Amino acid sequence: MSKREPVPGYIPELKALKVRLSVFVKMRWLVVLGIIAVALFARYVFNIGFQTLPVFIICAFLLAYNLWMYLWNRRLAGEETELVIRRAQISGYIQVLLDLAVLTVLLHYTGGITNPFIFVYVIHTTAASILLTRRRAYELTTIAVGMAALLAFLEYSGIIGHVNLNGFVSDALYQQPNYVLSIIITLAVLTYTSTYITTAVAGELRQQHLKVDELRDQLMAEDKRELERFSGEVANLKEERTRFVRLLSVVAHDLQAPLVAVQSCISYVLEGYAGETNDEQKDWLQRSSRRIDGLLVLITDLLDIPRIELGQLKQEMAEIPLNEVINHSLEGLDIVAKKKNLQLTVELPAQSPVIYGSSRRLQQVITNLTNNAINYTNEGSINIKLTENADEIRVDVTDTGIGIPSKDLPRLFDEFCRGSNVEVKGSGLGLSISKRIIIAHGGKIWAESPLLEDGRGSKFIFTIPKQKLNTQISKN
Amino acid sequence: MAKILVIDDDADLSAVMKGVLDREGYIVIVAANGKEGLAQARKEKPDLILLDVMMPVMDGFLFADEFNRDMAIAKIPVVAITSYVESPLGQPVPFDVAEYVSKPIKPKDLVALAKKYIKTDAKKN
Repeated sequence: MSKREPVPGYIPELKALKVRLSVFVKMRWLVVLGIIAVALFARYVFNIGFQTLPVFIICAFLLAYNLWMYLWNRRLAGEETELVIRRAQISGYIQVLLDLAVLTVLLHYTGGITNPFIFVYVIHTTAASILLTRRRAYELTTIAVGMAALLAFLEYSGIIGHVNLNGFVSDALYQQPNYVLSIIITLAVLTYTSTYITTAVAGELRQQHLKVDELRDQLMAEDKRELERFSGEVANLKEERTRFVRLLSVVAHDLQAPLVAVQSCISYVLEGYAGETNDEQKDWLQRSSRRIDGLLVLITDLLDIPRIELGQLKQEMAEIPLNEVINHSLEGLDIVAKKKNLQLTVELPAQSPVIYGSSRRLQQVITNLTNNAINYTNEGSINIKLTENADEIRVDVTDTGIGIPSKDLPRLFDEFCRGSNVEVKGSGLGLSISKRIIIAHGGKIWAESPLLEDGRGSKFIFTIPKQKLNTQISKN
Repeated sequence: MAKILVIDDDADLSAVMKGVLDREGYIVIVAANGKEGLAQARKEKPDLILLDVMMPVMDGFLFADEFNRDMAIAKIPVVAITSYVESPLGQPVPFDVAEYVSKPIKPKDLVALAKKYIKTDAKKN
């Protein structure tokens, strides 16, 4: 049993109440049809003698008042405030009260206490029990029984006339005290029992509703706390990451500065500013210089990874003509290729495709792929080809080099991964950086090898979609 | 004689630059930070300034900022000699200089750079 009254402003309850009110309006339309049908049937099929006109007048009144209720419900539908729930409750009370009055008047014109439809009061009190609080339900049940008793008494005592259902019951039945009393008592037992059962069930449901609501609130609060904690952690991580990149920048600078100084000192000597050097001395200095170059490249590459990850590319993005980007990337590489007797060919479309991207970073990718191709090719040629279709551009860098063993292909783009058949060259970060750059452009990069039957030849391909990829870029 | 002001906190680097440019017949003045560099620029009115970016006391950005506001010296070409790692997020910071050159700079490139900005001496050499 519910010990708690419905909470004003309790939204699920209010919604339920409004739904129930509209159900009652719908039922009332059907009830009007039912009354008319029953009246006509009783009058003309069973030939029960009574006046149908008052019945139709009452039906007309019922229709008019139900239309008013229908409109009233529609007006309440849009709002969900405390005031509305009160109004809905009042409206429910008035509706039941009116229904009881209409039923009583209808009964009066159709045989009063002798009409078996007198037990329809049970439906009204059940409706009240569903719609309203327990107290109101009992109030209305008492009113219902009172109305029935009053009707019976008034007719019995002759204060108002009695309309007899001629041909259905004897015209003296309404004046038999035993009959009248037993009908009223039966009616009272039925209505109070039904009210008791219905309010108990409705109260239980209301309790459940409240519990569900409470649980939902709790869950939502927990979810919110969880979300707050989580977003706080994400913010911390981001901050941590930014701090790490800053730290890395400082460390890289401090590592790089002495190397730059050493490199400069070596070139000072190598280029003869500190006096003549013989060939052997030059050779040793050049070896030192090359190793320092390698270190400088490693430092730059190491810094590239967090910078790309932090979304630096976003700031560099612009509309870029790819033919130009490729030509810039290959500057100087043709000389390197020529030194190794390799043929370097470039195939570009007549009209340069334009994409949204970072010119500097894409140059870095193409230079990296071409450099690798030159490094791992001892004879033959390297071809760089740019093609486009409606959706994307595609760059193929093909070589006739030593090829890549198939077991190395899956981890080729991982940090510090080198083919198992090659000597150590470069920082080991080039392809991993290239992959990050292409992904930041929303594209794909992969390798195919071998191309020839003897295991030689490899091809590196990347594609970049043509449309602006703001969403994808911001994810990186 | 054309004057070149080298602003760099790395004494070895400045020594190398001074050595190379001395040999080419330039007068080289060395400053260890932006503040010193600014003083020297105002005093010596050099023909070219080679500027490091990350320096203690006053870095290259602050130097360029103050330098560009001083009309007496603002017309002197400034070349920033910097490395990729020095810009905090790898971004070329909007930095009002004639040119960026990346470190380490080779002696012959340094000479070419000087000749590019100091035309009169290029003819003499």
